[in-house]
Amino acid sequence: MNSIAQRFSHSSTSNVLNEINQAQTEFAGTPQLELAPTIQLPPISQPTDFLRAHTDDASNPDCKIKIAHGTTTLAFRFQGGIIVAVDSRATQGNWIASQTVNKVIRINPFLLGTMAGGAADCQYWETWLGTQCRLHELREKERISVAAASKILGNLVYEYKGMGLSMGTMVCGYTKKEGPTIYYVDSDGSRLKGDLFCVGSGQTFAYGVLDSEYKWDLTVEEALYLGKRSILAATHRDAYSGGSVNLYHVTENGWIYHGNHNVGDIFWDIKAQEGSFNNVEG
Amino acid sequence: MSDPSSINGGSAVAMVGKDCIAIACDLRLGNQSLGLANNFEKIFQFGDKTFLGLTGLASDVTTLSEVFRFKNNLYKLREERQIEPKTLANLVSSTLYEKRFGPYFIGPIVAGLDSKTSKPFICGFDLIGCIDFAKDFIVSGTATDQLYGMCESLYEPNLEPEDLFETISQALLNAVDRDALSGWGAIVYVVTKDKVVKRVLRTRQD
Amino acid sequence: MDIILGIRVADGTIIATSKAATRGISILKDTDDKTRVLNKHNLVAYTGESGDTVQFAEYVQANIQLYSMRENDIELSPKATASFVRNQLATSIRSRKPYQVNVLIGGYDTKSNTPSLNWIDYLGTQVELPYGAHGYAAFYANSLLDKHYKKNMDVEQGLALLKMCLKELETRMPIDFKGVYVKVVDKDGIRSID
Repeated sequence: MNSIAQRFSHSSTSNVLNEINQAQTEFAGTPQLELAPTIQLPPISQPTDFLRAHTDDASNPDCKIKIAHGTTTLAFRFQGGIIVAVDSRATQGNWIASQTVNKVIRINPFLLGTMAGGAADCQYWETWLGTQCRLHELREKERISVAAASKILGNLVYEYKGMGLSMGTMVCGYTKKEGPTIYYVDSDGSRLKGDLFCVGSGQTFAYGVLDSEYKWDLTVEEALYLGKRSILAATHRDAYSGGSVNLYHVTENGWIYHGNHNVGDIFWDIKAQEGSFNNVEG
Repeated sequence: MSDPSSINGGSAVAMVGKDCIAIACDLRLGNQSLGLANNFEKIFQFGDKTFLGLTGLASDVTTLSEVFRFKNNLYKLREERQIEPKTLANLVSSTLYEKRFGPYFIGPIVAGLDSKTSKPFICGFDLIGCIDFAKDFIVSGTATDQLYGMCESLYEPNLEPEDLFETISQALLNAVDRDALSGWGAIVYVVTKDKVVKRVLRTRQD
Repeated sequence: MDIILGIRVADGTIIATSKAATRGISILKDTDDKTRVLNKHNLVAYTGESGDTVQFAEYVQANIQLYSMRENDIELSPKATASFVRNQLATSIRSRKPYQVNVLIGGYDTKSNTPSLNWIDYLGTQVELPYGAHGYAAFYANSLLDKHYKKNMDVEQGLALLKMCLKELETRMPIDFKGVYVKVVDKDGIRSID
């Protein structure tokens, strides 16, 4: 009896162990992505389905693991360079996980990346993009172009397509060759060059204000205000955006940080000053 | 998320003080992520010192506030007196249970002072009418978890009206600031033996 | 997605509805009017499940007109009209086959001389708003109106504001909605604007 039990349990564990070892050698042995560092996969038959079942809000609303979501980010080109403005709220379902998230990643003194979608995905890959840009600089003795930098990120996320990465980002920067440039890159693999983008759950609200006031000839002061005002509009209407506004201006000398503006304070100031937000009492 | 009780968002809380009660709610009405209105009050007055807070599906909040206004009017005509908080609580309970197999998606709370003894009374309900009597505080709505956290830490028994106002306001404000579907303004009622004070709170608008 | 938009100004309420009637991947008609006149000072604009929309709007229209006939030509106020419509939708949502219709009701109260805009969805959620929209249009128009809407605007200024909203919708909405019909409800009743 004892020996049977022992044999049974022994053989079953070794079977599982065998399978795990096999899967690990299969996945880790051959470097699947030359560009990227190795990311471990769980030793199960369909890691992507497993991940989706437990983390994807859209396909399974009851999923227990909620990845931080919800954002409004924008960037636009104008006569004086580029304005980048973002909110700072992270939500997990209806729970506000943070009001102080930094959604602009400073890739290097001339490049900014914005963050929408999976917070960890954006943070990790844009930091990684920073190292790739630095390596490019060392190899080529020249700063990387915005086009090339965004392409590295675009190609990387495309390698992972269908595996659950979630990011919508704008790579913004200035080079001699290109001038001020914005590339929109998302986890579907889209990569678009453009003058004006809003990304995230509050994008439409930001577009609403931005489109109505935007023109190429904006002064730097006007442009900074418009960026801030557009994010404010989104934080007001979109439940999943809020906290504060982080503002950046990208010029030929690199980016300049224009501060953190708490929505709780600037809302009332701007309302009084503009005579806007007439739907709000007081 | 298609959970009916968290489509529109909104929260309410009630507290007992020394010979007084306070009841408060936020003002947001949304459609999932989209904020629609910032003047959607979720507290309704029945009688001089009896209040009903209704959170959950906005359609049912309106429907029930009308149902209870109607029933309260009939009560007043029949009894020739104001309804007591305890009576309202039982009325709410039985009204909700009538819809046991097709419930209203709401989280009601009742708060008030007894008209004769001026004894504070608060209670809450589940959506089919189970009464939850409490001596200290009752919470309801999409920020329920946050409100429990705030109330458990801020609440103390036998607060004077002014201090109770401060406590309930801080509890509500800090709770809704951690809930994406609540906020956009708040209202607080403080009820004492000889007066009802209604205050509108200025809150974050994001 | 259909567009229905409403703006309340000091002396009236403006309602705009898209002209496109879309089924599947085709636009079947580009002159579809998604409004019904309820009485002299109440206009309902609707969007939602095809079939349900017109049936519901005309049912409401008939009942409100019936009320006036029975009650000695008394006109139902905007508040009463909105309340009636809400009640119908709130009852319907718990029936076997609910109406999937969202409406805006533009009204002018002749007793108190106040315009109003009521937002009601298929669940029976009702709110009185200074401006509002159903569907995706709300996601673009609301922020724009938050910025540019002023109290005490007149109809002219309201129409200028509406133009801004439509321009935004034309640039950002992924499908052509073939322009809009614009109607104004004010003290003189309901009129169309070119």
